[in-house]
Amino acid sequence: MIEARDLTVTRDGRKVLDRVAFHAAAGEVTSILGPNGAGKSTLLAALAGLLPIEAGEVSIGGARLGELTAMQRARRVAYVPQRTELRSALQVETVVSHGRYAHQAGLGRPGPADLEAVEDALRKADVLELRGRRFDHLSTGEQRRVLLARALATQAEVILLDEPTAALDVRHALELHALLEALADDGLCLVAVLHGLDAARRHTRRATLIDRGVVVAAGPSDEVIAPDFVRAVYGVELVEDAALGFRLGGPA
Amino acid sequence: MRYLVLAAALAAVATLSLLVGPGDLGDAALRGTFLSLRAARVSGAMLAGGALGAAGALVQGLFRNPLASPSILGTTAGASFGGQVVLLAHASLASAGWLAWVAPEMVLPIGCLTGAFVSLAVLLAFVRRGADLLSLLLIGFALTSLFLALGSFLTTLAQERYELGRAVVAFTLGGLGGVDWTHVRLAIPLVAVAVVAGWLWGRPLDVLLAGEMEAASLGVDVPRTRRWTIAWVGVLTAAAVAIGGNIAFVGLVVPHALRPFFGAEHRRLIPAAVLGGATFLGACDLLARVLPTRVEAPLGVVTGLIGAPLFLLLLVRTRREGVA
Repeated sequence: MIEARDLTVTRDGRKVLDRVAFHAAAGEVTSILGPNGAGKSTLLAALAGLLPIEAGEVSIGGARLGELTAMQRARRVAYVPQRTELRSALQVETVVSHGRYAHQAGLGRPGPADLEAVEDALRKADVLELRGRRFDHLSTGEQRRVLLARALATQAEVILLDEPTAALDVRHALELHALLEALADDGLCLVAVLHGLDAARRHTRRATLIDRGVVVAAGPSDEVIAPDFVRAVYGVELVEDAALGFRLGGPA
Repeated sequence: MRYLVLAAALAAVATLSLLVGPGDLGDAALRGTFLSLRAARVSGAMLAGGALGAAGALVQGLFRNPLASPSILGTTAGASFGGQVVLLAHASLASAGWLAWVAPEMVLPIGCLTGAFVSLAVLLAFVRRGADLLSLLLIGFALTSLFLALGSFLTTLAQERYELGRAVVAFTLGGLGGVDWTHVRLAIPLVAVAVVAGWLWGRPLDVLLAGEMEAASLGVDVPRTRRWTIAWVGVLTAAAVAIGGNIAFVGLVVPHALRPFFGAEHRRLIPAAVLGGATFLGACDLLARVLPTRVEAPLGVVTGLIGAPLFLLLLVRTRREGVA
């Protein structure tokens, strides 16, 4: 569904991504893993078409991202940042309706399809009861769900999420993972940058492990989150555990 | 309903401004002249105020900062300096026999527009390098100081000729004493087009409140939105300065005061800011006329006296809330 070939991104003269290959399919949650500074968020932003690419290409459903206009791209791929800069006194429903921006021509007045998409997104992200509240008055967890609703309102086939569970407590993190899995079951292609190997193995079907801008492993999550790769990338021991699935030991 | 309250306030200020002032309206022979002079002045004040209110709402949205305004960011000073350059250039050319048939107020908007755009272009160059609030305010301060210094130099040069010196000083201080229907007729199309165009850009500006990367991900053409918003802010500021000279703080105070009642959405806020700005500046001009001073207080002084303490209050509140 979303694919990248030989993706190279340079920032300040340094290669942040070096000929990266990436693939994520519809109906699955795919994780991007790696240590701090590995290039995960850069890869996600490049997949969203939000960064200048030095070489390589990204395609969505066969269409080259670079050949799409900003509006066309926004209708096909949605991006949920780790932190939003939105601090204005906008109502939740208004924020979610921004997901329809790329669908509205002319004066930008919402039509029946827009209203329905916003309603559907509010319901799916479980933020219907927050619709009349100010976005800047919500908790971090609530804001995350609203930003996800905004992404859903775009009705894009691919949703990219940058550390969606960061700063969430256990219950909210589990709820969010369950929501992402349910959306994948509906046929969406979801790609999430994650830090927790445990969450990635439990809640994502496929994983791409990168280190210093290079793909180390890609495939089914339980094959990528394996002792050899974890040791090579993170420098810690991953010990298989019958009850827990696995546990992480001290530095290798 | 809230727009009606603003419209009623505007109508009240307009009526008061027509009724109050030097000259006896009881004199049937002069009543028409007095009313026409006052109407031109009130229209000028309200046009300039509406333009600055709308410019403030746009610029605060563009920079995602409630403390941004054309006067704080140096745009007003840039427009004012541009106006001074044109006044001086016109006087020099006219004395050499060139352009003598063109009235100074006809070319003033061109100078104001150029000055506003130059100032905004410098500011934007810094913003694109990632300037934070403090840097933004400091750049605005530096630009204002630079344009004021250059303007002072021009004012000194203008003193060589009495009439020109008076005109440049009056323009620099800001005031509506010399506004006539020519000023109003010149400014109306500029303000009307820029307000409507700014309103049309309201939706991408709403999305842009989430930051450039998020807005781009939602389909907003960020560079285009930025370019056009700056263009309309420049036109609105230039039109206001061409009418009333260097008037500070209207663009800062008005949108900020109205946001709690009309929300942050630009298509709601901009019409409110136009009405609110027109009312505020109309009231300030009325105050300038009725203050018990030996000579009429310059309008820029009145808006400054009200706006500066409010700005400091907003700055303290914004920093306390962590927006900075």
